[in-house]
Amino acid sequence: MDQRLSGVDSASQGVSLVRRFGLATRLVHWGLAVPFVLLLLTGLTNYWPELKAIHLGGARLLAWLHVVLGFAMVGVAVALGAGALARRDTRRDAREVARVGMDDYLWLQHQGLRLAGEASNPPRVGKFNAGQKLNALASAGVTAGLLGTGTVLGVNYVSKTVFSVGLVEPVFRWHTALALLFVPVLLGHVYLAVVHPSTRESLRGMTRGMVRREWARRHHPSWVSDLEREEGAGTPRGSR
Amino acid sequence: MDPSRAISRARFLALVAGGAVLGYGGARIWGRAIKGWRYNTVERPVPAFDASEYRLVVDGLVERPLTFTYDELRALPGVRQVSDFHCVEGWGVDDVQWDGVRLQTLIDLAGPAANAKYVTFHSMGGVYRDSLSLQQARLPDVLVAYDMDGEPLKDDHGLPLRLVMPRMFGYKGPKWLTRIEFRDLQDTGYWEARGWRIDAWINA
Repeated sequence: MDQRLSGVDSASQGVSLVRRFGLATRLVHWGLAVPFVLLLLTGLTNYWPELKAIHLGGARLLAWLHVVLGFAMVGVAVALGAGALARRDTRRDAREVARVGMDDYLWLQHQGLRLAGEASNPPRVGKFNAGQKLNALASAGVTAGLLGTGTVLGVNYVSKTVFSVGLVEPVFRWHTALALLFVPVLLGHVYLAVVHPSTRESLRGMTRGMVRREWARRHHPSWVSDLEREEGAGTPRGSR
Repeated sequence: MDPSRAISRARFLALVAGGAVLGYGGARIWGRAIKGWRYNTVERPVPAFDASEYRLVVDGLVERPLTFTYDELRALPGVRQVSDFHCVEGWGVDDVQWDGVRLQTLIDLAGPAANAKYVTFHSMGGVYRDSLSLQQARLPDVLVAYDMDGEPLKDDHGLPLRLVMPRMFGYKGPKWLTRIEFRDLQDTGYWEARGWRIDAWINA
């Protein structure tokens, strides 16, 4: 697929593409993103009594869906997590995300100064800038927190006698707080990926896996130079 | 910092004041979203309350069937009680202050017949109802409440009257209470018909 995509694009359209995310990383992203959004939507119906009152065969439909989807997502997350740990390309992406250093601080400072209308030079950005790292780390942390607290609540949905209300109610509050705090992060993420003109090309990296080399060089210069050094050294592309 | 870019004291104070207002408002909204009430009802639209029309009927297997207007209810010997509210869904509200009449007071006024063993509570909309055993209904912290946190109940909270049974989950406390009926057999409540426990004791 690698060969075909890059071959077709660069030959017929004269646009050079680089591989941003392998299939495994994209699977992890979408395999978690789709149930996450469905769970967020069914969960938010907690603030909507009309929707809560809909039931099917005795069960509150949306609460039941939320719990079933939640348990399914725990399974999916464990499987994807194990798969990602077992693969070199996903491990490498994870390592890049977790590599936080002085450049990330400088990048955030640069964005702050730009927002304030001051002149500032950006630091060199690798595969991920500090904003992307923060988003990915926050997403992973919030997802883990929601799945953990959600498991307690899911068990409590099935049986009210396993846990005491003294445990369930604080866990319920944490679950709610994490989900609500994450909503603005998610909206920002979707805005930058879909709407914002200079960043929305990154979405192609997460859907088709490829982005234009020229765009990547502008946004992730260090990453592209590393990539080109590896290409020059003759590393086969598919093996990363 | 370039001194020409320094902001004036007035602007600084305005920013601090704006931030404080936003922070306070945000914290209140946040607190309500996390720790506050969530409304559950199968009565939609919310039953309308008209103080001149409203009646609480106490009937069924009793020696003295009774009817109260809203004002008559409020004139009965009342109690104030602070108790925690627990919803079966997993959320709760601590330290709710209820003003109302002990159910025991109404039971004694009506005088249950010898074969009265259970009490059914009916909502104004005619859809929701639930029941307690007479023994449970006589517990001293079971109230018919007209005020919550010092004010008459809000529409969504069951104006004018709701049953408060703090030792059981909230579905045992019908809102918009309009009829208390004594029976010899226990009535299957709205949620019990859908698989929920009849005795919803809280696993504290």
